[in-house]
Amino acid sequence: MKMPELPYIHAVYDRQYRVFRKLLGSALVSNVANPILFLFAFGFGMGSFIDTMAGMSYMTFVVAGMVGYSAAFAASFETSIGAFTRYFLQKNWDAILSTPVTLAELMMGEVLWASVKALFSAICVLIVGWMWGGVPVIFEPLITLPIVFLGSICFACAGLVATAYAKGYEFFAYFFTFWVTPMFVFCGVFFEISRFPDAVQYIAWFFPMTHLIAAIRPLIAGTAIDPALIALHTAYIVIFSAAAFAIAHRKLRQRLYD
Amino acid sequence: MENSSVITATNLVKKYGDLEVVRDIDFSVPTGQCFGLLGPNGAGKSTTMRMIMGLSEVTGGTLTVFGKPASGMARDIKAKIGLVPQESNLDPDITVLENLYAFGRYFALPKDVIEERSKKLLEFMQLSDKQHAPVNALSGGMKRRLTIARALIGDPEMVILDEPTTGLDPQARVLIWKQLLELKKDGRTLLLTTHYMDEAQRLCDQIVIIDGGKILDHGTPEELISRRVKGFVFEVQKPHAPGSSADRWDQEDIGDSVLYFVEDTAEFIADLPEDAIYLHRPANLEDVFLRLTGRQLREN
Repeated sequence: MKMPELPYIHAVYDRQYRVFRKLLGSALVSNVANPILFLFAFGFGMGSFIDTMAGMSYMTFVVAGMVGYSAAFAASFETSIGAFTRYFLQKNWDAILSTPVTLAELMMGEVLWASVKALFSAICVLIVGWMWGGVPVIFEPLITLPIVFLGSICFACAGLVATAYAKGYEFFAYFFTFWVTPMFVFCGVFFEISRFPDAVQYIAWFFPMTHLIAAIRPLIAGTAIDPALIALHTAYIVIFSAAAFAIAHRKLRQRLYD
Repeated sequence: MENSSVITATNLVKKYGDLEVVRDIDFSVPTGQCFGLLGPNGAGKSTTMRMIMGLSEVTGGTLTVFGKPASGMARDIKAKIGLVPQESNLDPDITVLENLYAFGRYFALPKDVIEERSKKLLEFMQLSDKQHAPVNALSGGMKRRLTIARALIGDPEMVILDEPTTGLDPQARVLIWKQLLELKKDGRTLLLTTHYMDEAQRLCDQIVIIDGGKILDHGTPEELISRRVKGFVFEVQKPHAPGSSADRWDQEDIGDSVLYFVEDTAEFIADLPEDAIYLHRPANLEDVFLRLTGRQLREN
């Protein structure tokens, strides 16, 4: 395999960015307004029943969860249904692969863009959460951004695995039902996973989402942090990303070349 | 003459499992010429093109493109090739100009070079007034012209065109032919597949006719015509037939009538009964193609 080179990765990224600028309205709605709705419903709705969770206000707890989820949703959508459309329907990937851009560079460009977009929506959630008093500290939440970015890369790579194996759009029903939705409900977005039976907890720790939220929540809340633990969660996310990327690359190579 | 050939295929084989779609073919594409790869559907044209583009692995034999093995597909080699695929894969989310811009980026060209070339290419393909239009607003002919412009953004030494005028109106075809000949004048090598024999005859310096994964014949259009179908074709309605013995004239029964391929028309007409009903025209590449590949339908 040729060593990936930045100008080619950036070329793929840049195309996505240009389209995003045109469709800014709908992109904002799905990536920003959507998590904000959840934030209000759960933060205010559920928050009126629950005062604190894991030693922080419930609003803070949910802000941290929604920062992770908004990144996960944005990145997953972009490299699954979004990328599949470019690959399968628009044949955009065929066009790109007839140029000097390699498959790995194409995938990296897709992942990079999806992650930037995901980070953008996570930042929006963080800002809105802060404006509503859900983020009690200023400096520590900024440390979460690189971690959220790494998490987004991981979700983007997982999305590419789905794209690599998808035969049609129906396939993404599985991806959203068994991958994205569990990240929403089992990975500590709205409540601590310690409430689950042990078996469910083990499954929850398989999802990179659980690690991402566990890493960023104390930082957003400004509570005591354990750097070693954060490093461990981050390492899991990085390893998961590399594995997912390799699986997706292998499968896409088989599909796009013969 | 390795140096003067852009593509050299030697004993080239492609198999999918047990199915052999390209069977031991040899050809070379000379620099600066228009080379036609003709054949019915399923003949192995597209597979051969995919191998040349490095998108399909070579099963046997060798295939070199610009002197390097096609399967390795070095980046500097891909940068020398522009591909015009059969199916439009223009980017529908962005405008005409942005399509050229995005493609220039895939070739890692500097911004000012892309801008300069885009302007020229849009003029070349007569799309300047559409530069800010979304791709979906273009007609079929415009899309094809844009696809050709896009393939030229990297200033390629070779342009590969897979049925560039299929489905276009005569005006659009004529424009594309004219511009393809311009490209050849610039010294670019063209590799063309087409189902239109008039197109091949008009554009190609060299033609290879393949079917069933094998090369049936190879030469200039004139060579192929004189070798395979003489100079003229007479389509004589049955039951009339020339007076001489059946094997005097090269012939092919096509149902209601019989085709005769002849060099000397006067001699042939003299041999026909007076009441014979016939059509008479110069032979062309279509006659060659049909003689070589047969008249059965090839779909499915």
